[in-house]
Amino acid sequence: MRVVIAEDQALLREGIVALLRENGIDVVAQAEDAAGLLRILAGHKPDLAIVDVRLPPTFTDEGVRAALEARAKYPGLGVLILSQYVEPVYTAELLDSGEGGIGYLLKERVGDVKAFIAAVENVARGGTALDREVVSELVRRRDADSGDGALAALTPREREVLGLMAEGKTNTAIARSLVVTPGAVEKHISNIFSKLDLPATDEDHRRVLAVLAFLRAG
Amino acid sequence: MDEPRSEIDWRSVQTMQLVMSGFLVFLMVVIWAASGFGYFWPIWVWFGLMIPVAVQYAIRRSLKGPRQWRGLSVHAALSCVAGAILTFIWAVTGFGFWLFWPLFGLAAALVLNGLMTAWWRALHPARERELTERVDELTRTRRGAVEVQAAELRRIERDLHDGAQARLVALSMQLGRAEERLEHDPEAAELVRKARSEASAAIGELRDLARGIAPPVLADRGLAAAVDALGKRSALPVTLDARLSRRLSPVVESAAYFVVAESLTNAAKYGRGAPARVTLMVETGRLIVEIDDDGPGGANPKGSGLTGLRNRVEALDGILVVRSSVGEGTTVHAELPCE
Repeated sequence: MRVVIAEDQALLREGIVALLRENGIDVVAQAEDAAGLLRILAGHKPDLAIVDVRLPPTFTDEGVRAALEARAKYPGLGVLILSQYVEPVYTAELLDSGEGGIGYLLKERVGDVKAFIAAVENVARGGTALDREVVSELVRRRDADSGDGALAALTPREREVLGLMAEGKTNTAIARSLVVTPGAVEKHISNIFSKLDLPATDEDHRRVLAVLAFLRAG
Repeated sequence: MDEPRSEIDWRSVQTMQLVMSGFLVFLMVVIWAASGFGYFWPIWVWFGLMIPVAVQYAIRRSLKGPRQWRGLSVHAALSCVAGAILTFIWAVTGFGFWLFWPLFGLAAALVLNGLMTAWWRALHPARERELTERVDELTRTRRGAVEVQAAELRRIERDLHDGAQARLVALSMQLGRAEERLEHDPEAAELVRKARSEASAAIGELRDLARGIAPPVLADRGLAAAVDALGKRSALPVTLDARLSRRLSPVVESAAYFVVAESLTNAAKYGRGAPARVTLMVETGRLIVEIDDDGPGGANPKGSGLTGLRNRVEALDGILVVRSSVGEGTTVHAELPCE
């Protein structure tokens, strides 16, 4: 797996690079700003870009803008955004920006090394890894408006499972956090697939589609 | 005529009044003609209709003058209208001599008022000028203070982000790496994990603090986007009508943002899920913010939340009005000068 990273704070950038390398992930290039990110993307054609939302020179949302531009230019590129804040506006923009994996994590999540590495791998494979705060924000919104079409047909438990899927959790991890058996989780998931009327392609792809349907609605 | 307008638009009220008056005049002439052209009585209807229009015009015209002569100019304008009315009656009723006395009275009262105003002004010139200057100065310095405070808060927010928060994130990451290497020593690993979760909690607290100063999306994308995000985040269905073509000054944007945020929070707390509407527009140099919900109404305008908002808006020379009758929903209307 080939990864690039755009982060202006050297301490954090170097830490993340070290952490990824310790776990056998190849960081092929690093950038300090949005222009640098687009340059290294062109040069290295990586599977995944890890991008900080705030980058020089204006320290607002350059990272998101650069990520959107990169996704338009390189379809299938996975983007994992790191941010100090949960900002549903940015998540929504990224989700609408086309193919490829999407992640949006609060920066402190890099401290949980196993979960962070799992998220990196998940996004590079085309999956999603959304911070649980992003997901809970979205779930609250879904619960607020009732007329949600297919999603309204889901039971509260199924929505919960879907939310955990959006965080990028595996069935085993979902079973653990809901304190149920993996078999029960599988049943919920197959109910979700049939209620959302998803084509019977491979499991991974359906998972991504279900999560996207959940996140994009509303 | 697509320009957004505030609630009371005098120009269109007046146009409507003129159109209706014109219609009535026309109707009277038709009735007069139909009833066989006798004495031309519709002239009295016209007269009656003209009076409110004339009074309104005179008052609005006279309010445009300099503030210190405003009382006198209103008096003069109304005297002129009264004089014109009397002259009209005098002309229609056969030119008697009586007109002299009321006109004389009106003129005398006006002259007296003029003299007294001039005299008062002559007696207290220094005080008057002093007060005017003081008000100007206070307005200027208050604006300056509010702006300095806002800039300072943003600097603190930036410093938190680049300083303490970044260091805590780095710390949390180093702890995570340490934890990975302590797999053979579960007790030590547990200690490190606890340390990491403390660091995470500290990061969370700093984040809440920074968000309370100014949500990042407000600085990044502007008021309309930030309010849109608020609406999406709200437990209520919120429709937003934002007609802003440019970025406003950061103090104005953040005051408006907090007006919307607090109002939507209140609406969600008391509104039992009833929908709310948010309107943002700039009209003649003022940003108008209105949040209108279909909740139960009856909000207490003296409540601490609304009072805090009012202070914030008034510090920028704006106004904040709350209408909330029981059973009619709540409307929070704020106007902020924004050059």
